[in-house]
Amino acid sequence: MMWQLVLRNLFHRPMRTLIGVMAVAVEVALVILIVGLTSGILQETAKRIEGIGADLMVQSPTAPMLITFSGSPMPIKIADKLAELKYVRAVAPALLQFNSTGGVETVWGIDAKSFREVSSGFVFLQGHDLQDPDDILVDDWQAKAKHVKVGDTYNLFNHKWNVAGVVEHGKGARLFVPIATLQDLVGAHDKASLFLVKCSHPDHTEDVIAEIKDLLPNYPVRPLKEFMTLMTSTNIPGLETFINAMIALAVSIGLLVIFLTMYTTVLERTRDIGVLKSLGASKVLIVRALLTETTLLCVLGIAAGVGLSYLVRAGFLALFPTLSILITPEWVLRAGLIALVGAVLGASYPAWLASRKDPVEALSYD
Amino acid sequence: MAITVTIRSLMDGKPDPERKPLDPILKTENLWKLYHAGKVEVPALRGVNFDVLPGESVAVMGPSGCGKSSLLYVIGGLARASRGKVLVDGNDLTAMGDAERTKLRRSKIGFVFQRFNLLPTLTARGNIAIAQYIHGDGYDPHRFDVVTKMLGLEGRLHHRPSEMSGGEQQRVAIARAIINEPKILLADEPTGNLDTKNSDIVLEMLRRLNKDLGQTIVMITHNPEATTYFDRVVHMRDGIIVDGVPAD
Repeated sequence: MMWQLVLRNLFHRPMRTLIGVMAVAVEVALVILIVGLTSGILQETAKRIEGIGADLMVQSPTAPMLITFSGSPMPIKIADKLAELKYVRAVAPALLQFNSTGGVETVWGIDAKSFREVSSGFVFLQGHDLQDPDDILVDDWQAKAKHVKVGDTYNLFNHKWNVAGVVEHGKGARLFVPIATLQDLVGAHDKASLFLVKCSHPDHTEDVIAEIKDLLPNYPVRPLKEFMTLMTSTNIPGLETFINAMIALAVSIGLLVIFLTMYTTVLERTRDIGVLKSLGASKVLIVRALLTETTLLCVLGIAAGVGLSYLVRAGFLALFPTLSILITPEWVLRAGLIALVGAVLGASYPAWLASRKDPVEALSYD
Repeated sequence: MAITVTIRSLMDGKPDPERKPLDPILKTENLWKLYHAGKVEVPALRGVNFDVLPGESVAVMGPSGCGKSSLLYVIGGLARASRGKVLVDGNDLTAMGDAERTKLRRSKIGFVFQRFNLLPTLTARGNIAIAQYIHGDGYDPHRFDVVTKMLGLEGRLHHRPSEMSGGEQQRVAIARAIINEPKILLADEPTGNLDTKNSDIVLEMLRRLNKDLGQTIVMITHNPEATTYFDRVVHMRDGIIVDGVPAD
């Protein structure tokens, strides 16, 4: 009977119910997409860095963990010092430049020979390695997104590049250009953002780390194999706070809309509440009826929110194929739970208000 | 005196042996109800003494504002008395808290209102069944059938209030009020929103409930003709009962 009452009430005002459902859906979708986008970018970046095939990465003391935004150039001569260390087989400098024109991407300036030595090399789907100063390598995802092929011109940093090769994705970046050309373009002569180090044997990784720390005491040295575990929102300064702030904002929207929906519901049903009280309905029953209605509304909103998340992700990926949005069951559950708690909190005051209504006043309410 | 037969006994075909017909089922002693308009106290009831015997039907008449509705709400446990005593089936309402009065209302009182007060989202069936649900006995199909048949509602059970006439709505409200076999049925001008034909139908139903099933009824009315359906008429004026006149 309770369910019948709740369901009938829920569908009695379809527009109000729809607005409530949509508010929860937007809240859930916001949480899922914000977390999905950040963790997607982090995981995808980490995968690409791990995929390089080097053993270590040395950054400047001020460089952020999220190397996508890495500037912080260091003297390129450090590469020579690193190469002299025992157990180091090869060192490759890379200059990273963030580009937000016509898309969001990080361009890596590399030296083709040393990069090949530290990594297992590119897998070429088309074309060849960097040879000329204006050559650019594009990974397959970027090539698909930008509709480019070998021989095309690629505009970047107000410079016309020649697409020399299309490579398989997963080697640090989506765009690679000769480091010298990039240094010229960005005014960072003889500078590098990071150094990739290949050890003579993987077992020597710890020894090399110790050596580098002796040589460059304040420079972060990170094993690339651990990058996947290191690239989490908690390790990126401010990112966790940003995510939490966004979640709080989404929850606030949901909570306020549910509050308003249930508050107007209670006002509209004042007389009905009086009737229920005249029939002997307890305060608990009235609260339960309203919270059950809220929960049902919220569950519909969560389902719609999950659907909306996948829809938005599909839309984003169609528009920006290089974007990575990671939707995990864990965060779908979390977002649902967050929305449910928010909705129940939002409905608690109206429900409490309803349970305390004076039955005589309620029955005479117009 | 009305015959003390409950719906259950009608269903079983046997009279209820537990009923004691002689003690008042409802009794008020020096009952006061004060309302507050700012700092001013406005008395709605000023020392009402009033008894109703089990199986009796009583009509309460009086001019608007004389305290009839206040009396109904206080004896029905919807409002708290300011002074005095209200005994319902031996339970003192004035000594009870909100929760206890709610519980008593659930088990011993049935209300019928002038404006029907059906839940608009539920069908007639749902409006009657919700009372059973709140009462806690659950849905008893046999009792449900007896009541709806008696009130001529069999063909209207799937309709919502907005799809029913006033007379039908009021019959649903009566069914809802008696479905749990309350000790007392309180009716607040149940014919006030009905035309003459439907008023007569509703009053006849109330009379049948009283005469055939022994339902105790207290009804407030402005309609002098309505009083002919009742055992006793009580007149109120300025918050007190001014007489008690046995009907013929």
